[in-house]
Amino acid sequence: MFLTRSEYDRGVSTFSPEGRLFQVEYSLQAIKLGSTAIGIATSEGVILGVEKRVTSPLLESSSIEKIVEIDNHIGCAMSGLTADARSMIDHARVASLNHNLYYDEKIQVETLTQSVCDLALRFGEGVDGEERLMSRPFGVALLIAGYDDINGPQLYHADPSGTFYRYDAKAIGAGSEGAQAELNNEYHKSLTLKDAELLILKILKQVMEEKLDSNNAQLASVTKDEGFRIYSDEETGKIIQELKDQEDDDIAEAS
Amino acid sequence: MDHDPFRWGRPRDDIYGKYDYSIANSEHYFQEHKDKYSEFPRMNTQEPIVTGTSVIGIKFEDGIIMAADNLGSYGSLSRFTDIERLIEFNDKTVVGISGDISDLQKIERLLEELKIESSYDDVNIEFQADNIHKYLRNVLYSRRNKMDPLWNSLIVGGIGSDNEPFLKYVDLLGVEYASPALSTGFGNYLAIPILRKFLEEKGIDETKTDSDNFRNIKEEEARKCVLECMKVLFYRDARSLNKFSIVTISKKNGIKLEKNLKIEDMSWEFAKDIKGYGNGQRY
Amino acid sequence: MSSDYSNIKDSAPIEHRFNPYSDNGGTILGIAGEDFAVLAGDTRHTTGYSINSRYEPKVFDVGDNIIMSANGFSADGNSLITNFKTNLQWYHFNNNEEKLKISSAARLIQHLLYGKRFFPYYVHTIIAGLDENGKGAVYSFDPVGSYEREQCRAGGAAASLIMPFLDNQVNFKNQANQPLRYLSLNEVLSLVKDAFSSATERHIHVGDYLEILIVTKEGVRTELYPLKRD
Repeated sequence: MFLTRSEYDRGVSTFSPEGRLFQVEYSLQAIKLGSTAIGIATSEGVILGVEKRVTSPLLESSSIEKIVEIDNHIGCAMSGLTADARSMIDHARVASLNHNLYYDEKIQVETLTQSVCDLALRFGEGVDGEERLMSRPFGVALLIAGYDDINGPQLYHADPSGTFYRYDAKAIGAGSEGAQAELNNEYHKSLTLKDAELLILKILKQVMEEKLDSNNAQLASVTKDEGFRIYSDEETGKIIQELKDQEDDDIAEAS
Repeated sequence: MDHDPFRWGRPRDDIYGKYDYSIANSEHYFQEHKDKYSEFPRMNTQEPIVTGTSVIGIKFEDGIIMAADNLGSYGSLSRFTDIERLIEFNDKTVVGISGDISDLQKIERLLEELKIESSYDDVNIEFQADNIHKYLRNVLYSRRNKMDPLWNSLIVGGIGSDNEPFLKYVDLLGVEYASPALSTGFGNYLAIPILRKFLEEKGIDETKTDSDNFRNIKEEEARKCVLECMKVLFYRDARSLNKFSIVTISKKNGIKLEKNLKIEDMSWEFAKDIKGYGNGQRY
Repeated sequence: MSSDYSNIKDSAPIEHRFNPYSDNGGTILGIAGEDFAVLAGDTRHTTGYSINSRYEPKVFDVGDNIIMSANGFSADGNSLITNFKTNLQWYHFNNNEEKLKISSAARLIQHLLYGKRFFPYYVHTIIAGLDENGKGAVYSFDPVGSYEREQCRAGGAAASLIMPFLDNQVNFKNQANQPLRYLSLNEVLSLVKDAFSSATERHIHVGDYLEILIVTKEGVRTELYPLKRD
């Protein structure tokens, strides 16, 4: 792509002669620099897992927030320029709250995702009456996990181009290629919540540069009964231990 | 009161101080300086000035008939005697307007504008009577929401989107209703009872709008009934005129507007028996 | 010396303002049953002592198995209902054609009404339908959006005549040892007819026809009965 770079990557709303919007494509590249985030939707609920890049031993790892709550029934994981996610999360929280205010019900996960993607598109010129909000596309992608009564547990991937798709399992960020390949191999419909937790950590372990521990990984779940919940470090630690035990067993079995 | 012909009607300066002309001009000032607040409040129409009286309408076999006289009253003065208050929109729609005549002309302009905007080659929308009614109701309702009403009551008649006769009322508040016989203003008390009696004799079911329900009413009979109503209105409505228009819209024959009709077969025999009211006789 | 003008100056200013409201009479009534709900209204449309129309329906099937009526100033009533319908369309566009729940419809109407808190829709609004469990539901609103789910509610001109009758016959108020129970559709329909023929006797703004809309899980159905026309 960079070989064909031309003047067409200056404006955010200028197509190149081949019909490409370079600034949007670059924003997708920004995500590939971000830390890995993985989501898996099972019939029992959705699990999100992220890698936290603890770049210094002096860094307080709890201050790295890559999984956040949008509402009681929706949460999301992010990868890319996470600062950009603030305005998306803000927008999503307002949309969810407003829906509840206006309709006395929980917003559907897809409706919420659509509304975030509407925001993502507002980097262009302001169209009649609508204010132009941003000078560039967002540099962050979201994995939006949620539960609603109509479609059950759901996982959506929303990217800076304003596109979103629903996935059974999806990985984004630096390690996404390897992680997605692994998800394609390992995912099946009868996966339990427990299986999903272990699978996410297993994949994170494979794609992360550092050694996986409860300090540099975080899990969250969305279920019908408990809603959105971020796992405590102890809980994550326990699952990591479980994963280790399982792997040890496998090695023992193999030898 | 100052009787200087150039200052007629103004309070006298020596008693009330010099007249502040910005009061009278405040409306214009306000319109030219929309960003500023006028020193004086903006005033919208508070009452109609030149007015037209009742419009009446009735459905028949395959269409509608409406009538309105040609008078524009200035209070109790018969000021204008050649006002056409039945506005032909197209061959399927007519709008009968009573109330303020300047607002009538505004509505006429709005309808003309709508007609032009909808008849460019690539647009070409064919409005039916119900579409025009809804449009006018939205105009009137939004003006009432601004507390700046168009001071009129209208009856829209013609053929609706369902290809059945259409007759519906709307007024300055945005209130709307349909009925086989309709009237505005004084006609509600004088014409409606006559029209309703006529419909009842014909066995009309007011809950049905299909033309089969009206098959008993021939155009000629309905027209006769409307003429009778116009006569009663001229007898008893002090702000009416014996010159009027009738419009007929039918599925078969389209629109027909008859102007300058005169009320016929009147008898003012009873007038000589009226006593009192300042005619010099005292009893 | 006093002149004509000084008299005018001294007298209090005469208020002559445009009144944006009127009352178009009529009355409505909603009752919820176990697996159905009805919303009924007379079809007389009035201003003052005049009957404008003997058949001007004011109870509407607004879609998604919800029936609605806004009784009082009919221009506002019609506007509220068209506004609700457009909002419903938007809800469908934004939510994958999902059906609007009656509880959500109620909340939406609250916002439509409260949005005009300082120039209110001069109407008493009632909606009826089935809730998520298939039970009959009636919600009623005041002109500025306060709302409540109820078993029954009368609104409009003859509300004060009908409501005590309903308290007694639907909620068994002032009937000793009468346990609460759901009324059957037939019981409800005959209550509605009695309520309206009685209101027609006593109230000049009620009469002509009674239109009853009935919601069940099968959909909305309409029945029309004549009332006295005097």
